[in-house]
Amino acid sequence: MLEIDDLRKRYGDTVALDGVGFTVRPGELFGFVGANGAGKTTTMRIIMGVLRADSGEVRLSGRPVTYEDRRAFGYMPEERGLYQKMRAAEQVEYFGRLHGLTPAAARTAASGLLERLGLADRRDEAVQALSLGNQQRVQLAVALVHDPAVLVLDEPFSGLDPLAVDALAEALKDRAAAGVPVIFSSHQLDLVERLCDSVGIISAGRVVASGPVEELREREGRRLLKVVVRGAPPGWADGLPGRVTQDGERQVLLSEGGDDQEILHAAVRAGRVEHFGWQRPTLTEIFREAVA
Amino acid sequence: MNAMWLVARREIRTRVRTGSFLVSLAITVVIVAVLPFVPKFFDGHDDYDVGVVGTAPAAVAQVKFHQYPDEAAARKAVTGGDVDAALVDDRKVLAEGQLDTRLGLLLENAHREARLRASGVTITPLTVESLAADARYRQVRTGIAMLLVMVLFFLNIYSAMFVAMGVVEEKGSRIVEILLTSLRPWQLLGGKIIGLGVLGLINLGVVIGVGLAASVPAGLAPDLPPGMAGIVAGTVVWFVLGYAFFAAMAAAFGSLVSRQEEVGSVLSPMTMLMTITYLVAYFAAIEPAGSVARILSLIPPFSSMVMPVRSAASVVPFGEVALAVALMLVATVAVLFGGARVYEGAVLRTGARVRLREALG
Repeated sequence: MLEIDDLRKRYGDTVALDGVGFTVRPGELFGFVGANGAGKTTTMRIIMGVLRADSGEVRLSGRPVTYEDRRAFGYMPEERGLYQKMRAAEQVEYFGRLHGLTPAAARTAASGLLERLGLADRRDEAVQALSLGNQQRVQLAVALVHDPAVLVLDEPFSGLDPLAVDALAEALKDRAAAGVPVIFSSHQLDLVERLCDSVGIISAGRVVASGPVEELREREGRRLLKVVVRGAPPGWADGLPGRVTQDGERQVLLSEGGDDQEILHAAVRAGRVEHFGWQRPTLTEIFREAVA
Repeated sequence: MNAMWLVARREIRTRVRTGSFLVSLAITVVIVAVLPFVPKFFDGHDDYDVGVVGTAPAAVAQVKFHQYPDEAAARKAVTGGDVDAALVDDRKVLAEGQLDTRLGLLLENAHREARLRASGVTITPLTVESLAADARYRQVRTGIAMLLVMVLFFLNIYSAMFVAMGVVEEKGSRIVEILLTSLRPWQLLGGKIIGLGVLGLINLGVVIGVGLAASVPAGLAPDLPPGMAGIVAGTVVWFVLGYAFFAAMAAAFGSLVSRQEEVGSVLSPMTMLMTITYLVAYFAAIEPAGSVARILSLIPPFSSMVMPVRSAASVVPFGEVALAVALMLVATVAVLFGGARVYEGAVLRTGARVRLREALG
């Protein structure tokens, strides 16, 4: 379990992190979302030990994370970094060796990863000769080569084509399924919603909402009731809170804060009730509301 | 330690594989191989050409005789510049304008010797005893010293430059963020300095090896001073010390910036220091016994170039060399530690140029 506890960081007068805290369980795919400059990258750099927090703590299995722990982490920084003139496979292998793999293990791991990421035929090309998307795959391979115990990826999906997104998503799910806490940041909320078990929404250096996606949707969604009635006379919902829209022969009522039982009775009297339930907002809606 | 070796190995491998390394090494080989032959071009001809009418005298060192049928032909050869002078019937010498003094002495001497021998007098040549044992090699020693100045300067600045560029490459592309999650800053820095240092040593070895090998066909080998092995060993030691000193400086300064374009300006204090070292070493090559050379050959980092140059140009007491090495060692270790600290403090701060004080803070 990776615990981020009350991280604070300021640069001069600018407060970058104002008490960031959340938890990523083993096997959990954690999406970290927030506007530009909200503090995602700063948080991730602190987790990786690349940056020191002014206060707060990062814990793994209850103990403060050490340098030795971090050697087993996999990391993909926001601005990609690879040796441009080194060959793809050689590069992945090199990072594997730096993480302590034997030459043979590093070679096997590099080959396997590049194959899985669809780069088997490019393995001996210099990184600078690869397309941006392929460079990104090499970058991911670098982060994964040593079978990391924790995976921290800053914007891993940015700039990828849909196929590469799928390949990367598979790879991440795979790691999570192996019991690894995986944390990644992204602007693509639909992707995060589709992929992640949990999310953390950060705004102005604070985590404004975090937890399992389903829970957030339930919690945030309880306030909006959606009722669909077929063949109801106009004006059936007069006097009920909320607004009605016409959708063919159906009338849709979105209501906030009313007495749900009273609304149900009114709907039943008015016509055939096709849908009655709490509206579950999308992650985008939750995000908009949370950072507003 | 293992990680440091991995880093060093990567540096060596990637650099050796680039075409530019091999090309520059090849160019060095050509230049160094040609250099020992250069004095010959500038010395002009070694031997005098002298035309002879009548019987040729016995062989004379540094004079090559050419037979002509009569005086008229000899005159024509002299005025035409085919020969430097002509000897007619062992009686008179024809010269264009004034006779070269040295040639005149040689011919006069040979003439007298032949006459004396003919009259039954044998002459035992004078034996020469050199009182300053060193003097015979002074010119060659100075030549070697001057070459050393250039080689050490270029190798040091070239290698240090590569260290700085490597540091900036890693910093600018943020590779360093990934690297530093799996190794310590000193391992990364140490590996880089060692790797590029090995390449510098390879260069130095090639220069020394090719230079010594080429001096044999160039006819310089017999003029090489005794104790060449010591001079070579000393040069290698001083290169290692000087390189470590300047490379650590280059890494520290390099880590302050994030873009290759800024490397030149941020390194300027170091290049300035190297240039000054180069200049004083150059003067030390010309005047190895001067007090400036003596003092600066003890003070780091000047000693890294002045001392090997001084030892090549003259004989330096062992005590002074030992003292210079000890002082330079201390300075190098200090710069390595200081440089590593600056590097650690600055290498993760991408963006604007980091101030030295911020890096140390």
